[in-house]
Amino acid sequence: MRAVKLQLATKTLLNSGAFQWKKVPAEELRMAGARVDLQPSRYVRTVWAGRPVGAVRNLKVQTAHNSRDILFRLEWPDESKDTDFGDGSVFPDAASVIFPLKGDAPLETMGSPRSPINAWYWRANFATDEARNRSCQGYGTEEDSPERQVQARARWEDGRWYVVFARPLSANGKTNVKLSSAHPAKVAFAVWEGSSQERGGLHSCSRQWLDLVIE
Amino acid sequence: MTKANGSGSAAARQVAMVFDLNKCIGCQTCSVACKVLWTRDEGSEYQWWCTVNTLPGRGHPKDWEAMGGGYREGVPQPGRRPLREEWGGGWDFNYDEVLYGGKGQSVYLHPIGEEPKWGPNWDEDQGAGEYPNSYFFYLPRLCNHCTKPACVEACPQGAMYKRKEDGIVLRDESRCQGHQFCLEACPYKKIYFNFVRQVSQQCIMCFPRVEQGVAPACVRQCPGRAVWFGFMDDEAGPIHKLVRKWEVALPLHPEYGTEPNIFYIPPIGPARLNEDGSFDESSPRIPTDYLESLFGPRVRPALETLQTEMQTTRNGGKSELMDTLIAYWWKDMFKPFDRDPADIQWVEQR
Repeated sequence: MRAVKLQLATKTLLNSGAFQWKKVPAEELRMAGARVDLQPSRYVRTVWAGRPVGAVRNLKVQTAHNSRDILFRLEWPDESKDTDFGDGSVFPDAASVIFPLKGDAPLETMGSPRSPINAWYWRANFATDEARNRSCQGYGTEEDSPERQVQARARWEDGRWYVVFARPLSANGKTNVKLSSAHPAKVAFAVWEGSSQERGGLHSCSRQWLDLVIE
Repeated sequence: MTKANGSGSAAARQVAMVFDLNKCIGCQTCSVACKVLWTRDEGSEYQWWCTVNTLPGRGHPKDWEAMGGGYREGVPQPGRRPLREEWGGGWDFNYDEVLYGGKGQSVYLHPIGEEPKWGPNWDEDQGAGEYPNSYFFYLPRLCNHCTKPACVEACPQGAMYKRKEDGIVLRDESRCQGHQFCLEACPYKKIYFNFVRQVSQQCIMCFPRVEQGVAPACVRQCPGRAVWFGFMDDEAGPIHKLVRKWEVALPLHPEYGTEPNIFYIPPIGPARLNEDGSFDESSPRIPTDYLESLFGPRVRPALETLQTEMQTTRNGGKSELMDTLIAYWWKDMFKPFDRDPADIQWVEQR
Protein backbone atom coordinates (compact mmCIF):
# COMPACT_ATOMS: atom_id res chain seq x y z
CA MET A 1 0.00 0.00 0.00
CA ARG A 2 1.06 3.53 -0.68
CA ALA A 3 1.19 6.43 1.78
CA VAL A 4 0.28 9.39 -0.36
CA LYS A 5 1.76 12.78 0.37
CA LEU A 6 -0.72 15.47 1.36
CA GLN A 7 -0.11 19.10 2.27
CA LEU A 8 -2.40 18.96 5.25
CA ALA A 9 -2.04 19.42 8.97
CA THR A 10 -2.00 16.27 11.09
CA LYS A 11 -4.94 17.55 13.10
CA THR A 12 -6.97 17.73 9.91
CA LEU A 13 -6.14 14.17 8.94
CA LEU A 14 -6.73 12.83 12.46
CA ASN A 15 -10.38 13.56 11.72
CA SER A 16 -11.56 10.37 10.01
CA GLY A 17 -14.47 12.32 8.53
CA ALA A 18 -12.26 14.90 6.80
CA PHE A 19 -13.25 15.08 3.13
CA GLN A 20 -9.59 14.93 2.11
CA TRP A 21 -9.51 11.23 3.01
CA LYS A 22 -11.97 10.58 0.16
CA LYS A 23 -9.18 11.22 -2.33
CA VAL A 24 -6.78 8.79 -0.68
CA PRO A 25 -6.73 5.33 -2.29
CA ALA A 26 -8.23 2.65 -0.05
CA GLU A 27 -7.38 -1.02 0.31
CA GLU A 28 -10.13 -3.44 1.25
CA LEU A 29 -8.46 -6.11 3.34
CA ARG A 30 -9.92 -9.54 3.94
CA MET A 31 -9.17 -10.39 7.57
CA ALA A 32 -8.56 -13.81 9.12
CA GLY A 33 -9.24 -15.00 12.63
CA ALA A 34 -6.17 -15.58 14.80
CA ARG A 35 -5.05 -19.20 15.07
CA VAL A 36 -6.25 -20.70 18.32
CA ASP A 37 -3.60 -23.44 18.29
CA LEU A 38 -0.85 -20.80 18.54
CA GLN A 39 -2.26 -19.11 21.64
CA PRO A 40 0.08 -19.30 24.65
CA SER A 41 -2.63 -20.29 27.15
CA ARG A 42 -3.76 -23.92 27.29
CA TYR A 43 -7.08 -22.70 28.65
CA VAL A 44 -7.57 -20.52 25.56
CA ARG A 45 -6.39 -23.25 23.18
CA THR A 46 -8.76 -25.78 24.74
CA VAL A 47 -11.82 -23.64 25.29
CA TRP A 48 -11.63 -21.72 22.01
CA ALA A 49 -10.87 -24.75 19.83
CA GLY A 50 -13.69 -24.88 17.29
CA ARG A 51 -15.06 -21.49 18.30
CA PRO A 52 -15.05 -18.78 15.65
CA VAL A 53 -12.35 -16.15 16.09
CA GLY A 54 -12.14 -12.93 14.12
CA ALA A 55 -15.59 -11.37 14.02
CA VAL A 56 -14.42 -8.53 11.81
CA ARG A 57 -13.85 -9.92 8.32
CA ASN A 58 -13.28 -6.79 6.26
CA LEU A 59 -11.11 -3.80 6.97
CA LYS A 60 -10.74 -0.69 4.84
CA VAL A 61 -7.33 0.95 5.18
CA GLN A 62 -5.89 4.20 3.85
CA THR A 63 -2.55 5.83 4.55
CA ALA A 64 -1.07 9.25 3.97
CA HIS A 65 1.70 11.49 5.25
CA ASN A 66 2.47 15.18 5.37
CA SER A 67 6.28 14.87 5.58
CA ARG A 68 6.07 15.26 9.34
CA ASP A 69 3.58 12.55 10.38
CA ILE A 70 2.32 9.35 8.81
CA LEU A 71 -1.31 8.44 9.29
CA PHE A 72 -3.38 5.28 8.85
CA ARG A 73 -7.15 5.45 8.59
CA LEU A 74 -8.95 2.22 9.48
CA GLU A 75 -12.65 1.56 8.95
CA TRP A 76 -14.64 -1.55 9.72
CA PRO A 77 -18.20 -2.66 10.42
CA ASP A 78 -19.12 -3.38 14.05
CA GLU A 79 -22.74 -3.28 15.07
CA SER A 80 -21.93 -3.26 18.79
CA LYS A 81 -20.02 -0.26 20.04
CA ASP A 82 -18.03 -1.55 23.01
CA THR A 83 -16.21 1.30 24.70
CA ASP A 84 -15.57 -0.33 28.07
CA PHE A 85 -15.87 -3.61 30.00
CA GLY A 86 -19.62 -3.10 30.41
CA ASP A 87 -21.25 -5.31 33.01
CA GLY A 88 -18.25 -7.65 32.88
CA SER A 89 -19.47 -9.58 29.85
CA VAL A 90 -17.68 -7.63 27.09
CA PHE A 91 -14.33 -6.06 26.23
CA PRO A 92 -13.62 -2.72 24.60
CA ASP A 93 -13.18 -2.84 20.82
CA ALA A 94 -9.61 -2.28 19.66
CA ALA A 95 -7.32 -2.06 16.64
CA SER A 96 -3.62 -2.19 15.87
CA VAL A 97 -1.29 -1.13 13.11
CA ILE A 98 1.61 -3.58 13.14
CA PHE A 99 5.14 -3.37 11.75
CA PRO A 100 7.96 -5.92 11.79
CA LEU A 101 11.07 -4.50 13.41
CA LYS A 102 13.40 -6.99 11.78
CA GLY A 103 12.86 -8.78 8.47
CA ASP A 104 9.83 -10.98 8.20
CA ALA A 105 8.59 -11.28 11.77
CA PRO A 106 5.95 -14.00 12.15
CA LEU A 107 2.63 -12.17 11.95
CA GLU A 108 0.52 -15.10 13.13
CA THR A 109 2.21 -15.05 16.55
CA MET A 110 2.67 -11.27 16.76
CA GLY A 111 6.41 -11.54 16.39
CA SER A 112 8.95 -13.71 18.13
CA PRO A 113 11.90 -13.13 20.48
CA ARG A 114 14.21 -12.95 17.45
CA SER A 115 11.84 -10.92 15.32
CA PRO A 116 9.91 -8.43 17.43
CA ILE A 117 7.14 -6.24 16.11
CA ASN A 118 6.03 -2.70 16.80
CA ALA A 119 2.27 -2.34 17.30
CA TRP A 120 0.35 0.90 17.53
CA TYR A 121 -2.60 -0.01 19.70
CA TRP A 122 -5.87 1.83 20.13
CA ARG A 123 -8.66 0.63 22.38
CA ALA A 124 -12.14 2.10 22.63
CA ASN A 125 -11.80 2.84 26.35
CA PHE A 126 -8.63 4.92 25.97
CA ALA A 127 -8.75 8.66 26.45
CA THR A 128 -9.29 10.84 23.38
CA ASP A 129 -6.27 10.69 21.05
CA GLU A 130 -4.58 8.10 23.28
CA ALA A 131 -2.83 5.18 21.68
CA ARG A 132 -0.14 2.89 23.00
CA ASN A 133 3.09 2.29 21.23
CA ARG A 134 3.99 -1.30 21.93
CA SER A 135 6.68 -3.79 21.15
CA CYS A 136 5.87 -7.45 21.09
CA GLN A 137 7.91 -10.66 20.80
CA GLY A 138 5.04 -13.12 20.48
CA TYR A 139 1.58 -13.47 21.96
CA GLY A 140 1.32 -12.26 25.53
CA THR A 141 4.60 -10.32 25.54
CA GLU A 142 3.42 -6.85 24.56
CA GLU A 143 5.11 -4.00 26.37
CA ASP A 144 4.44 -0.30 26.18
CA SER A 145 7.40 1.52 24.72
CA PRO A 146 8.84 4.53 26.48
CA GLU A 147 8.49 6.39 23.17
CA ARG A 148 4.90 7.57 23.14
CA GLN A 149 4.62 9.41 19.84
CA VAL A 150 1.62 7.44 18.58
CA GLN A 151 -1.85 8.94 18.76
CA ALA A 152 -5.22 7.73 17.56
CA ARG A 153 -8.60 9.33 17.18
CA ALA A 154 -11.73 7.21 16.85
CA ARG A 155 -15.37 7.60 15.93
CA TRP A 156 -18.21 5.09 15.82
CA GLU A 157 -21.15 5.89 13.61
CA ASP A 158 -24.00 3.82 12.16
CA GLY A 159 -22.39 0.48 12.89
CA ARG A 160 -18.85 1.34 11.78
CA TRP A 161 -15.62 2.23 13.55
CA TYR A 162 -13.37 4.88 12.03
CA VAL A 163 -9.92 5.15 13.62
CA VAL A 164 -6.99 7.28 12.49
CA PHE A 165 -3.51 6.52 13.84
CA ALA A 166 -0.65 9.03 13.56
CA ARG A 167 3.06 9.01 14.36
CA PRO A 168 5.96 11.25 13.35
CA LEU A 169 7.79 9.77 10.37
CA SER A 170 11.07 10.19 12.17
CA ALA A 171 10.85 8.51 15.52
CA ASN A 172 13.90 7.24 17.32
CA GLY A 173 14.10 4.38 19.77
CA LYS A 174 14.83 0.77 19.02
CA THR A 175 11.23 -0.34 19.47
CA ASN A 176 9.97 2.26 16.96
CA VAL A 177 9.67 1.12 13.37
CA LYS A 178 11.75 3.20 10.94
CA LEU A 179 9.46 4.83 8.39
CA SER A 180 10.71 6.96 5.52
CA SER A 181 10.42 7.22 1.76
CA ALA A 182 13.92 5.76 1.55
CA HIS A 183 12.98 2.67 3.57
CA PRO A 184 10.72 -0.06 2.23
CA ALA A 185 8.53 -1.19 5.13
CA LYS A 186 5.85 -3.75 5.84
CA VAL A 187 2.60 -3.29 7.66
CA ALA A 188 -0.33 -5.38 8.93
CA PHE A 189 -3.53 -4.70 10.85
CA ALA A 190 -5.48 -6.33 13.65
CA VAL A 191 -8.97 -5.69 14.99
CA TRP A 192 -10.67 -6.89 18.18
CA GLU A 193 -14.46 -7.12 18.47
CA GLY A 194 -15.17 -6.80 22.16
CA SER A 195 -18.68 -8.19 22.35
CA SER A 196 -17.37 -11.36 20.66
CA GLN A 197 -15.00 -11.81 23.62
CA GLU A 198 -12.00 -10.82 21.52
CA ARG A 199 -8.97 -9.65 23.47
CA GLY A 200 -5.31 -10.58 23.70
CA GLY A 201 -4.40 -13.05 20.97
CA LEU A 202 -8.03 -13.49 19.92
CA HIS A 203 -8.60 -11.05 17.10
CA SER A 204 -8.81 -10.79 13.36
CA CYS A 205 -5.69 -9.90 11.42
CA SER A 206 -4.75 -9.09 7.85
CA ARG A 207 -3.56 -12.30 6.22
CA GLN A 208 0.01 -11.25 5.50
CA TRP A 209 2.40 -8.31 5.67
CA LEU A 210 1.65 -5.65 3.10
CA ASP A 211 4.42 -3.68 1.41
CA LEU A 212 4.30 -0.09 2.52
CA VAL A 213 5.65 2.56 0.18
CA ILE A 214 5.94 6.11 1.44
CA GLU A 215 5.78 8.71 -1.35
CA MET B 1 9.88 -13.08 26.89
CA THR B 2 7.69 -14.46 29.60
CA LYS B 3 8.01 -17.93 30.97
CA ALA B 4 5.97 -20.66 29.36
CA ASN B 5 2.47 -20.60 30.78
CA GLY B 6 1.55 -23.13 33.39
CA SER B 7 5.01 -24.63 33.53
CA GLY B 8 7.15 -24.52 36.62
CA SER B 9 4.22 -23.60 38.82
CA ALA B 10 4.90 -26.28 41.43
CA ALA B 11 5.91 -24.90 44.83
CA ALA B 12 8.61 -26.34 47.05
CA ARG B 13 6.52 -25.58 50.14
CA GLN B 14 2.87 -24.76 50.52
CA VAL B 15 1.04 -22.69 53.07
CA ALA B 16 -2.53 -23.72 53.76
CA MET B 17 -5.53 -22.85 55.89
CA VAL B 18 -8.08 -24.97 57.70
CA PHE B 19 -11.45 -23.50 58.64
CA ASP B 20 -13.53 -25.37 61.22
CA LEU B 21 -17.12 -24.95 60.03
CA ASN B 22 -18.30 -26.11 63.45
CA LYS B 23 -16.70 -23.06 65.01
CA CYS B 24 -17.33 -20.39 62.40
CA ILE B 25 -20.13 -18.14 63.63
CA GLY B 26 -20.44 -16.07 60.45
CA CYS B 27 -19.34 -12.87 62.18
CA GLN B 28 -17.49 -11.65 59.05
CA THR B 29 -14.51 -10.43 61.08
CA CYS B 30 -12.24 -12.20 58.57
CA SER B 31 -14.07 -10.54 55.65
CA VAL B 32 -13.77 -7.11 57.23
CA ALA B 33 -10.15 -7.62 58.32
CA CYS B 34 -9.32 -8.33 54.68
CA LYS B 35 -11.53 -5.55 53.39
CA VAL B 36 -9.94 -2.78 55.42
CA LEU B 37 -6.46 -4.02 54.63
CA TRP B 38 -6.64 -4.64 50.89
CA THR B 39 -9.78 -3.55 49.02
CA ARG B 40 -10.58 0.04 49.87
CA ASP B 41 -9.07 1.67 46.78
CA GLU B 42 -11.11 2.95 43.87
CA GLY B 43 -12.21 0.02 41.73
CA SER B 44 -11.95 -2.51 44.53
CA GLU B 45 -14.95 -1.33 46.54
CA TYR B 46 -17.05 -4.28 45.45
CA GLN B 47 -14.27 -6.79 45.99
CA TRP B 48 -14.34 -9.04 49.04
CA TRP B 49 -11.33 -11.32 48.75
CA CYS B 50 -12.59 -13.16 51.82
CA THR B 51 -16.32 -13.75 52.16
CA VAL B 52 -18.45 -15.81 54.51
CA ASN B 53 -21.66 -17.20 53.07
CA THR B 54 -24.51 -19.14 54.55
CA LEU B 55 -24.90 -22.64 53.18
CA PRO B 56 -27.04 -23.98 51.68
CA GLY B 57 -27.13 -20.81 49.61
CA ARG B 58 -26.34 -19.29 46.25
CA GLY B 59 -23.14 -17.70 47.46
CA HIS B 60 -20.92 -14.95 46.14
CA PRO B 61 -20.95 -14.33 43.24
CA LYS B 62 -24.52 -15.50 42.84
CA ASP B 63 -24.66 -19.17 41.77
CA TRP B 64 -20.89 -19.32 41.28
CA GLU B 65 -20.84 -23.11 41.35
CA ALA B 66 -22.59 -23.18 37.95
CA MET B 67 -20.03 -20.92 36.23
CA GLY B 68 -17.50 -23.57 35.17
CA GLY B 69 -13.72 -23.50 35.01
CA GLY B 70 -11.18 -25.78 36.65
CA TYR B 71 -10.17 -29.15 35.21
CA ARG B 72 -11.81 -32.42 34.36
CA GLU B 73 -9.29 -35.26 33.99
CA GLY B 74 -6.62 -32.62 33.62
CA VAL B 75 -8.35 -30.80 30.77
CA PRO B 76 -9.25 -27.11 31.28
CA GLN B 77 -12.99 -26.62 31.40
CA PRO B 78 -14.75 -23.59 29.92
CA GLY B 79 -15.85 -21.08 32.50
CA ARG B 80 -17.66 -17.81 32.42
CA ARG B 81 -16.92 -14.54 34.11
CA PRO B 82 -19.34 -13.38 36.79
CA LEU B 83 -21.27 -10.28 35.80
CA ARG B 84 -20.91 -7.18 37.92
CA GLU B 85 -24.49 -7.56 39.16
CA GLU B 86 -23.84 -11.17 40.18
CA TRP B 87 -21.20 -9.86 42.57
CA GLY B 88 -23.30 -6.97 43.82
CA GLY B 89 -21.84 -4.86 46.60
CA GLY B 90 -19.65 -1.77 46.36
CA TRP B 91 -22.60 0.47 47.16
CA ASP B 92 -22.42 4.06 48.30
CA PHE B 93 -24.84 4.85 51.10
CA ASN B 94 -26.61 8.15 51.83
CA TYR B 95 -24.59 8.69 55.00
CA ASP B 96 -24.43 12.45 54.59
CA GLU B 97 -28.18 12.77 54.26
CA VAL B 98 -29.05 10.56 57.22
CA LEU B 99 -26.19 11.29 59.61
CA TYR B 100 -25.41 14.94 58.90
CA GLY B 101 -28.29 16.27 56.78
CA GLY B 102 -30.85 16.56 59.57
CA LYS B 103 -33.03 13.81 58.07
CA GLY B 104 -32.21 11.12 60.58
CA GLN B 105 -35.87 10.72 61.49
CA SER B 106 -37.32 10.84 57.99
CA VAL B 107 -34.87 9.13 55.65
CA TYR B 108 -33.53 5.62 56.08
CA LEU B 109 -30.01 4.51 55.25
CA HIS B 110 -29.96 2.93 51.80
CA PRO B 111 -27.59 2.47 48.87
CA ILE B 112 -27.55 5.36 46.42
CA GLY B 113 -28.61 4.54 42.87
CA GLU B 114 -30.03 1.32 41.52
CA GLU B 115 -31.79 -1.01 43.93
CA PRO B 116 -29.29 -3.77 44.86
CA LYS B 117 -30.29 -7.25 43.75
CA TRP B 118 -27.38 -9.26 45.15
CA GLY B 119 -24.38 -8.79 47.40
CA PRO B 120 -21.56 -10.56 49.18
CA ASN B 121 -23.77 -11.96 51.96
CA TRP B 122 -27.19 -11.66 50.39
CA ASP B 123 -28.80 -14.92 51.51
CA GLU B 124 -27.47 -14.81 55.07
CA ASP B 125 -29.04 -17.30 57.49
CA GLN B 126 -31.67 -18.51 55.02
CA GLY B 127 -30.33 -22.06 54.88
CA ALA B 128 -32.61 -25.00 54.16
CA GLY B 129 -34.89 -27.59 55.75
CA GLU B 130 -38.12 -27.32 57.73
CA TYR B 131 -38.56 -26.15 61.29
CA PRO B 132 -37.64 -27.58 63.75
CA ASN B 133 -35.05 -29.35 61.64
CA SER B 134 -33.93 -26.48 59.45
CA TYR B 135 -30.19 -26.10 59.09
CA PHE B 136 -27.46 -23.84 57.89
CA PHE B 137 -23.77 -23.26 58.44
CA TYR B 138 -21.19 -20.69 57.41
CA LEU B 139 -18.56 -21.13 54.73
CA PRO B 140 -15.66 -18.68 54.63
CA ARG B 141 -14.12 -18.53 51.15
CA LEU B 142 -11.02 -16.93 49.72
CA CYS B 143 -8.59 -17.70 46.90
CA ASN B 144 -7.60 -21.36 47.33
CA HIS B 145 -3.97 -20.78 46.26
CA CYS B 146 -4.38 -24.04 44.40
CA THR B 147 -1.63 -26.55 43.82
CA LYS B 148 -2.82 -26.64 40.20
CA PRO B 149 -3.96 -23.04 39.75
CA ALA B 150 -6.15 -22.88 36.65
CA CYS B 151 -5.80 -19.09 36.67
CA VAL B 152 -2.01 -19.24 36.33
CA GLU B 153 -2.22 -21.61 33.39
CA ALA B 154 -4.98 -19.58 31.72
CA CYS B 155 -3.12 -16.27 31.68
CA PRO B 156 -1.68 -15.65 28.20
CA GLN B 157 0.51 -12.87 29.54
CA GLY B 158 2.38 -14.98 32.08
CA ALA B 159 1.25 -12.38 34.62
CA MET B 160 0.33 -14.95 37.27
CA TYR B 161 2.64 -17.25 39.17
CA LYS B 162 2.79 -19.57 42.13
CA ARG B 163 5.61 -18.77 44.55
CA LYS B 164 8.14 -21.53 45.07
CA GLU B 165 8.76 -20.71 48.74
CA ASP B 166 5.18 -20.87 49.99
CA GLY B 167 2.85 -21.69 47.10
CA ILE B 168 1.05 -18.35 47.28
CA VAL B 169 -0.57 -17.49 43.92
CA LEU B 170 0.14 -13.92 42.83
CA ARG B 171 -0.29 -11.64 39.85
CA ASP B 172 2.19 -9.16 38.45
CA GLU B 173 -0.25 -6.32 37.84
CA SER B 174 2.21 -4.60 35.52
CA ARG B 175 1.89 -7.58 33.16
CA CYS B 176 -1.87 -8.09 33.60
CA GLN B 177 -3.74 -6.78 30.55
CA GLY B 178 -7.23 -7.28 31.98
CA HIS B 179 -8.09 -10.11 29.60
CA GLN B 180 -9.80 -11.98 32.46
CA PHE B 181 -9.09 -15.50 31.29
CA CYS B 182 -8.17 -16.12 34.95
CA LEU B 183 -11.72 -15.22 36.00
CA GLU B 184 -13.07 -17.76 33.53
CA ALA B 185 -10.63 -20.51 34.50
CA CYS B 186 -11.00 -20.14 38.29
CA PRO B 187 -13.75 -22.60 39.25
CA TYR B 188 -14.17 -20.94 42.65
CA LYS B 189 -14.89 -17.51 41.13
CA LYS B 190 -12.65 -15.77 43.62
CA ILE B 191 -10.97 -13.41 41.17
CA TYR B 192 -12.35 -9.93 40.68
CA PHE B 193 -11.93 -7.49 37.81
CA ASN B 194 -11.00 -3.97 38.82
CA PHE B 195 -12.99 -1.88 36.35
CA VAL B 196 -11.05 1.26 37.25
CA ARG B 197 -7.50 -0.05 37.05
CA GLN B 198 -8.43 -2.62 34.40
CA VAL B 199 -6.58 -5.48 36.04
CA SER B 200 -7.82 -8.63 37.71
CA GLN B 201 -7.25 -9.00 41.45
CA GLN B 202 -7.65 -11.62 44.15
CA CYS B 203 -6.51 -12.63 47.65
CA ILE B 204 -2.74 -12.36 47.97
CA MET B 205 -2.67 -14.45 51.16
CA CYS B 206 -1.37 -11.30 52.89
CA PHE B 207 2.08 -12.14 51.50
CA PRO B 208 3.74 -9.00 52.93
CA ARG B 209 2.62 -10.17 56.38
CA VAL B 210 3.54 -13.80 55.75
CA GLU B 211 7.03 -12.73 54.68
CA GLN B 212 7.40 -11.05 58.09
CA GLY B 213 6.15 -14.06 60.03
CA VAL B 214 2.65 -12.65 60.53
CA ALA B 215 -0.42 -14.75 59.73
CA PRO B 216 -2.89 -13.42 57.14
CA ALA B 217 -5.37 -10.88 58.54
CA CYS B 218 -8.40 -13.17 58.13
CA VAL B 219 -6.64 -15.80 60.23
CA ARG B 220 -5.26 -13.60 62.97
CA GLN B 221 -8.47 -11.60 63.42
CA CYS B 222 -10.82 -14.62 63.75
CA PRO B 223 -12.38 -14.25 67.20
CA GLY B 224 -13.69 -17.81 67.18
CA ARG B 225 -10.39 -19.69 66.88
CA ALA B 226 -11.94 -21.23 63.80
CA VAL B 227 -8.99 -21.03 61.40
CA TRP B 228 -5.46 -22.42 61.32
CA PHE B 229 -2.61 -21.36 59.04
CA GLY B 230 0.79 -22.86 58.40
CA PHE B 231 2.98 -24.98 56.18
CA MET B 232 1.45 -28.21 54.94
CA ASP B 233 4.75 -30.07 55.41
CA ASP B 234 5.13 -29.03 59.07
CA GLU B 235 4.30 -32.41 60.56
CA ALA B 236 4.12 -31.05 64.10
CA GLY B 237 1.72 -28.30 63.05
CA PRO B 238 -2.09 -28.36 63.06
CA ILE B 239 -2.48 -28.06 59.27
CA HIS B 240 -0.62 -31.30 58.63
CA LYS B 241 -2.43 -33.01 61.48
CA LEU B 242 -5.90 -31.97 60.34
CA VAL B 243 -5.40 -32.45 56.60
CA ARG B 244 -2.91 -35.30 56.28
CA LYS B 245 -2.82 -37.21 59.56
CA TRP B 246 -6.46 -37.19 60.67
CA GLU B 247 -7.89 -36.45 57.20
CA VAL B 248 -10.78 -34.43 58.65
CA ALA B 249 -10.02 -31.20 56.78
CA LEU B 250 -11.20 -31.33 53.16
CA PRO B 251 -11.02 -29.04 50.14
CA LEU B 252 -14.19 -27.51 48.75
CA HIS B 253 -15.29 -29.15 45.50
CA PRO B 254 -12.26 -31.39 44.95
CA GLU B 255 -13.86 -32.43 41.65
CA TYR B 256 -12.88 -29.04 40.21
CA GLY B 257 -9.41 -30.51 39.83
CA THR B 258 -7.27 -27.58 41.00
CA GLU B 259 -6.22 -29.04 44.38
CA PRO B 260 -7.13 -26.17 46.71
CA ASN B 261 -5.07 -25.31 49.78
CA ILE B 262 -7.95 -23.97 51.84
CA PHE B 263 -9.50 -26.85 53.78
CA TYR B 264 -12.64 -27.25 55.86
CA ILE B 265 -13.67 -29.33 58.85
CA PRO B 266 -17.19 -30.38 57.81
CA PRO B 267 -20.01 -29.20 60.06
CA ILE B 268 -21.87 -31.55 62.37
CA GLY B 269 -25.16 -29.88 63.14
CA PRO B 270 -27.08 -30.34 66.35
CA ALA B 271 -29.31 -33.42 66.54
CA ARG B 272 -32.66 -33.42 64.74
CA LEU B 273 -35.77 -33.10 66.84
CA ASN B 274 -38.85 -35.29 66.84
CA GLU B 275 -42.27 -33.70 67.03
CA ASP B 276 -42.34 -34.26 70.78
CA GLY B 277 -39.04 -32.44 71.13
CA SER B 278 -36.96 -35.55 71.75
CA PHE B 279 -33.73 -36.16 69.80
CA ASP B 280 -33.96 -37.92 66.46
CA GLU B 281 -30.60 -39.66 66.08
CA SER B 282 -31.61 -41.60 62.99
CA SER B 283 -30.19 -39.08 60.55
CA PRO B 284 -28.02 -35.99 60.74
CA ARG B 285 -29.57 -32.52 60.66
CA ILE B 286 -27.26 -31.48 57.82
CA PRO B 287 -27.75 -34.15 55.13
CA THR B 288 -24.52 -36.01 54.49
CA ASP B 289 -25.35 -36.14 50.78
CA TYR B 290 -25.34 -32.36 50.79
CA LEU B 291 -21.94 -32.22 52.50
CA GLU B 292 -20.66 -34.79 50.01
CA SER B 293 -21.79 -32.51 47.16
CA LEU B 294 -19.50 -29.86 48.63
CA PHE B 295 -16.51 -31.77 49.96
CA GLY B 296 -16.57 -35.03 48.01
CA PRO B 297 -16.86 -38.62 49.22
CA ARG B 298 -14.08 -38.24 51.77
CA VAL B 299 -16.50 -36.26 53.91
CA ARG B 300 -18.09 -39.52 55.14
CA PRO B 301 -14.97 -41.00 56.80
CA ALA B 302 -14.07 -37.49 58.02
CA LEU B 303 -17.42 -37.15 59.80
CA GLU B 304 -17.01 -40.63 61.27
CA THR B 305 -13.57 -39.76 62.60
CA LEU B 306 -14.90 -36.56 64.16
CA GLN B 307 -17.79 -38.42 65.83
CA THR B 308 -15.47 -41.16 67.10
CA GLU B 309 -12.98 -38.73 68.58
CA MET B 310 -15.74 -36.64 70.15
CA GLN B 311 -17.06 -39.79 71.79
CA THR B 312 -13.56 -40.61 73.04
CA THR B 313 -13.36 -37.33 74.90
CA ARG B 314 -16.95 -37.66 76.14
CA ASN B 315 -15.84 -40.93 77.65
CA GLY B 316 -13.02 -39.14 79.42
CA GLY B 317 -10.31 -40.17 76.95
CA LYS B 318 -7.62 -38.05 75.30
CA SER B 319 -7.82 -37.09 71.64
CA GLU B 320 -5.08 -35.27 69.80
CA LEU B 321 -7.63 -34.37 67.14
CA MET B 322 -10.07 -32.81 69.63
CA ASP B 323 -7.25 -30.96 71.39
CA THR B 324 -6.16 -29.54 68.03
CA LEU B 325 -9.69 -28.50 67.08
CA ILE B 326 -10.35 -26.91 70.49
CA ALA B 327 -7.17 -24.83 70.00
CA TYR B 328 -6.19 -24.23 73.62
CA TRP B 329 -3.31 -21.97 72.61
CA TRP B 330 -4.27 -19.29 70.12
CA LYS B 331 -0.77 -18.74 68.75
CA ASP B 332 -0.34 -22.45 68.09
CA MET B 333 -2.96 -22.04 65.39
CA PHE B 334 -0.61 -20.24 63.02
CA LYS B 335 2.96 -21.02 63.99
CA PRO B 336 5.52 -20.03 62.77
CA PHE B 337 3.49 -17.02 61.61
CA ASP B 338 2.72 -15.85 65.14
CA ARG B 339 4.66 -12.60 65.15
CA ASP B 340 2.64 -9.60 66.36
CA PRO B 341 2.12 -7.20 63.43
CA ALA B 342 2.23 -4.29 65.89
CA ASP B 343 5.92 -5.06 66.54
CA ILE B 344 6.88 -4.48 62.93
CA GLN B 345 7.96 -1.21 61.36
CA TRP B 346 5.89 -1.61 58.18
CA VAL B 347 6.67 1.71 56.51
CA GLU B 348 10.13 3.22 56.34
CA GLN B 349 10.41 6.45 58.28
CA ARG B 350 11.18 9.40 56.05
